[in-house]
Amino acid sequence: MHARILLSLLVLGGIALDLPAQRRRPPTGRPAPAAPDNQPAPPPAASLDRSKVKAWTLYKGADLHLGTGEVLRRGELLVGDDKIFAIGTGLDLPEGGKVIECAGRVISPGFVAVRALGLGQPSGNPGKAADGVNPFDPTIKMALAAGITSYGAIFEGGTASPDGRSAVLKLAFGDLKGMVLQEDSVLQMRVPLNPQQWQTLRDQVKKVQDHKKAVAEHAAKKDNTPAPKPPAGTEKLLRVIDREARLWIGAAGAYDNDAIREALEVARLLDVGVVLVEPLTAWSIPDEVAATGSMAIVNPRQVADPDPGRKDSTGSNLAQCRILSETGVAVAVTTPRGGFAGGPSIGTGGIMGQDLNTPHIDAAFAVRGGMDNREALRTLTLDAARILGAESRIGSLEVGKDADLLILDGDPLHYRTFVQIAVVNGKVVYEKDKEPFYSHIGR
Amino acid sequence: MSAPRTGLLAGLLLAATTAAQAPSMQIFFGNRPKEEKEYKVARWGPRGLPSPGYAFLAAKVVTMEGDPIEDGVVLTRNGTIEAVGRRSQVRVPDGYEVRDCGDAWIVPGIVDLHCHIAANGFDLNDTVHPTNPEFRTLDLITLQHPQIQRALAGGVSTVLYIPGSGSNMGGFGTLTKTHGDPREALVRFPGSLKIAQAGNPERRTGDLGMSRMGMNQGLRFTLQRGYEYHLAWERFDQGKGPKPEARADLEYLRGLFRHEYPVSVHTQIYQVVLQTFRQLRLEFGLWTFIDHGTFDAYRMSEFAAEIGVPICAGPRAYYFDPAASRFVGIMQGWFAEGMKGWRANQRGVGVDGIAVNTDSPVVPQEQITVQCAMGVRLGLPDVVGMRAMTLNPARIVGIDHRVGSLAPGKDADLGIWSGDPIDPRSHVITMVVNGRIAYVRDPERPLW
Repeated sequence: MHARILLSLLVLGGIALDLPAQRRRPPTGRPAPAAPDNQPAPPPAASLDRSKVKAWTLYKGADLHLGTGEVLRRGELLVGDDKIFAIGTGLDLPEGGKVIECAGRVISPGFVAVRALGLGQPSGNPGKAADGVNPFDPTIKMALAAGITSYGAIFEGGTASPDGRSAVLKLAFGDLKGMVLQEDSVLQMRVPLNPQQWQTLRDQVKKVQDHKKAVAEHAAKKDNTPAPKPPAGTEKLLRVIDREARLWIGAAGAYDNDAIREALEVARLLDVGVVLVEPLTAWSIPDEVAATGSMAIVNPRQVADPDPGRKDSTGSNLAQCRILSETGVAVAVTTPRGGFAGGPSIGTGGIMGQDLNTPHIDAAFAVRGGMDNREALRTLTLDAARILGAESRIGSLEVGKDADLLILDGDPLHYRTFVQIAVVNGKVVYEKDKEPFYSHIGR
Repeated sequence: MSAPRTGLLAGLLLAATTAAQAPSMQIFFGNRPKEEKEYKVARWGPRGLPSPGYAFLAAKVVTMEGDPIEDGVVLTRNGTIEAVGRRSQVRVPDGYEVRDCGDAWIVPGIVDLHCHIAANGFDLNDTVHPTNPEFRTLDLITLQHPQIQRALAGGVSTVLYIPGSGSNMGGFGTLTKTHGDPREALVRFPGSLKIAQAGNPERRTGDLGMSRMGMNQGLRFTLQRGYEYHLAWERFDQGKGPKPEARADLEYLRGLFRHEYPVSVHTQIYQVVLQTFRQLRLEFGLWTFIDHGTFDAYRMSEFAAEIGVPICAGPRAYYFDPAASRFVGIMQGWFAEGMKGWRANQRGVGVDGIAVNTDSPVVPQEQITVQCAMGVRLGLPDVVGMRAMTLNPARIVGIDHRVGSLAPGKDADLGIWSGDPIDPRSHVITMVVNGRIAYVRDPERPLW
């Protein structure tokens, strides 16, 4: 059986796997070091135990947009309970399994909103997110209708050092246990830092390095003494340096190249790729961003005109997503905010196309800026999951990942495409025909 | 028992199959002068300004005058379209520069009837009196403004640049192209009288007359004075009365009652639109259109169709009907659905009665196509969506003899697009305004 899947995948790799044009510009700046954060973590395949699966579902006949930039035409997807077990064609359905015919449909990974408000998340300072989520929040259904199956709930943070609380929440409607994927995998800080704050950060990094050395020496001794504890106040920094948490760096005021370079300096000091939050002008120094293994959250529609008072001022560029992506910088898109735009929330105020009711429109603007249509889906799926540090579980249709998927009636990024069915943790949690929001709109 | 139900079903079926071809409303234009030269108050901008001879070739030419032309060509010279047709049927004259746009689409330049950005800053929301018929936007036009540059890069070639909604009667708007010298760009001034019936003026009017009744009264008093001034001029023109004393504050209202231009009304909810219909269209007999049509007023589509008031929908794309938990597309609601969910079988305004607007910068000017895309997403047929950005707004405001479609004799305002303009993934490759190349996209630094 396994061999057969593997074989079918190999065959498909030759004939049906529809690869987008790979465009990578040769870096023109400093040579890129081997960036440890530049590749997504693989799904934990070891967790797949076929003997324990209670319910099998085979999704058949759809074009599978895998979320990695690849498309498998008329493929099959085998889900066991809440995990993806196989992808290919001619898959065997274990006895008692259910077949869902999806001919003429498109299946995509559930969209990952890197940042969202509402949607069942706890309000205020939650302590543990798991203690405050509401799996029956009605905005969860609206978000599922928009294709979102998981998102970053960023509660606080944004001081001069890595800090804050966050959770990656899943829109497992009605299922309290299924909602929290992980906590505090995102920490935040901001730039610019003043000289004193830089000195403090350097001191803390030194303390963490000394601590890590002490831990290594202690481990080598193999005696039974307790392991050294990290110095007080460096616990969060340690998590970033150990790559247990992504560090998002926002900018107070304009996110110009000065701020971007300062954020990249933090990345070099910590020796870890960071996430630039809406860096307006990163398109003008993509190689510098790529060299640190950093990633970016971009609102493609954010515009800023060049500052006439500065010679090096560039302003925004609609081509930012394309340029960063071609340089090897992972990009997630986010929604416009401010003014009448809804920002990262599901609104009922009426301004559609400007909020999380239509995340695919944000990715569509990455395409308008020149990004390949299939690559651009990554800005809502795999690369968005990487920016949340959750790519081993969500963000793509890959064996071993969570069964979070959308059955769509068209190309994922087409403005008329609607989610017909949303599946989270293997369960159907939204059906267009059965919910009131869009059931009156025929396709 | 079953007869009405069958009738309803048949009606719904009919609506579903023929929505795009359903008989449309007739827009009420009043006694609008037939020719530009008959206008007495309004001034029209120049036409036929020098521009080179171009032959634009493209895979698809969407004229809005019939079916799209495959493998088409558009000839332009001296600001005007000279010919539109299949490549095999149109001869390119000697000396014309041939621009082969390959797989591109050529569509008419987009017309937005609710724009506040043709100037630097937000300097168009004054309130000297509760109603301000003495205000005009004509003198503010600043087309090198970056927001207008982006509008052009978003395919918009004509805007109705109107005062803000801080007072009930904000003043007179200007119809202008988005490119060039402000004198050459002028299409018509006044483009419209801007009235805001509710939803914003409350914050400026003060504590007397700030509810809907008070605001209604202020408008009627001012319009009544304008009407009497208009009648005095009419009597003078017919040799039946003395020459009236010139009044700068009432002069443009005179043109409004001559039906030289419409009143464009910033509306909000159902009640506000009802007031527009009763007061402006029926009581004062004005050429009227809804500009900024949002919320649940679409339920009155039959009323609008009967009295000839067309609709510009936006910036809101949908009304979230709390009783039904539905996202109702506002464009689709006005177009075809009327009181759906309340009382069925209401008539919509049809293919000629619906346009889309941004209220830029509320929704950025260049995102008018996103507004349209959301209207189509929520049920409007896409062919109607394309009309709602081009021919319909041009007709609604009375400039369709110049812009809004691709036909010989019309202004050479062309958007050359990478694909379907409604799809946000498509982009403008080249914009032509008055026959001149106004924008060429740089893929490394696209403005939009």
